[in-house]
Amino acid sequence: MGLIRVILGDDHTIVRQGIRALLDSAGIKVEGEAADGRALVKQVQDLAPDLAIVDIALPLLNGIEATRKINRLSKATKVICLSMHNDKGYITQARRAGAWGYVLKDAAAAQLLEAIDTVMRGNPYFPAGMEAAPETELERITPREREVLQLIAEGKKNSEIAQLLIRSLHTVRNHRANIMRKLGVHSSMELVHAAERMGLVRLEAPGITDEST
Amino acid sequence: MDTIRVVIVDDHALVRQGLIRLLSAYPDIELVGTAGDGKGAITMVEEKSPDVLLLDISMPNLDGLSAIPRLIEASSGTRILLLSIHDEPEHAQAAIARGAGGLISKSASADDLYQAILAVSQGKCLPPTQPLTPRERQVLALINAGKTNEQIAESLSISVKTVLRHRQRLMERLDVHTQAGLIGYAKRIGRRRK
Repeated sequence: MGLIRVILGDDHTIVRQGIRALLDSAGIKVEGEAADGRALVKQVQDLAPDLAIVDIALPLLNGIEATRKINRLSKATKVICLSMHNDKGYITQARRAGAWGYVLKDAAAAQLLEAIDTVMRGNPYFPAGMEAAPETELERITPREREVLQLIAEGKKNSEIAQLLIRSLHTVRNHRANIMRKLGVHSSMELVHAAERMGLVRLEAPGITDEST
Repeated sequence: MDTIRVVIVDDHALVRQGLIRLLSAYPDIELVGTAGDGKGAITMVEEKSPDVLLLDISMPNLDGLSAIPRLIEASSGTRILLLSIHDEPEHAQAAIARGAGGLISKSASADDLYQAILAVSQGKCLPPTQPLTPRERQVLALINAGKTNEQIAESLSISVKTVLRHRQRLMERLDVHTQAGLIGYAKRIGRRRK
């Protein structure tokens, strides 16, 4: 593989540092790191890397929406999504958002390297046997509304959302009202449920029980 | 120099390999084994009796918390350090109550992790931040169930004013500022208790 410039987006520092170290030992230099989707998009805009490796479960702006933005803002940058989920829905969304590849965190480092090699040669790299999923409720709202919904579900106030998106409070309230109308929901709780169902936020902790409490 | 013998268990190969590489930079840490699932963890601990077991809290066929007693039984000299994607004091407290050395969030850095491994290997416990009180948990669970303040007051036999005070305190302690933020937190905690 020639010299490629990579930016890495993952909210868990240890995981990010680990992937960076793995890539480093394969001769791939990570030029930038980001812990949330908004910082990632900003880095990509500033550095126009060849490749962005993006965890799909990022705070503030999830990896799928970040991919969509990167695709629009930096044509030179290819995206490989990283995910814990071997899930048709996520894979389809990643493809539609313009990702070139999708690698599971279950996979060994060698597979990530293979994906990078494949994608940098101009070929897509997706898990086999995952045909496109049908359209979901995710597509009933616009990308901007999805951004707002994720931020609401993460517990941001309207004023914070306005600041993050550089929009007026009035616009944020309009978005919120439109999201509720389009999804047919009527409370904060239902908004959080919807955001989770759509995979915009990750609230689950699979396989954990704690019967002591 | 005495090395600290460490076993790493995480079901995500990419994360596991990353951890191995990060910890291999510290000369006083000796990696003696890795595993990707619960069975592997128990086998490794029995075989290697490591000084420290670094164990992902959520893995298929192994619930990190309830496996702690079994792991300690398998190797009483092994100290357990749990790794979690969330930094939740309840789980840190539960882990320590069951005999583990503590819990560290994956949001920590490699240096933080190294320091935590050193600390637990010396027999220390990592202090969890202040967990919620049982009453605060009840209020949180009822908020998550969609109950109004009046309904919560009634079902806990307390005044609405007290409910509001609990709600206010919860928001301060959890550093969340909206109803949606509280619900999100409640869902994360609740799901682990099912």
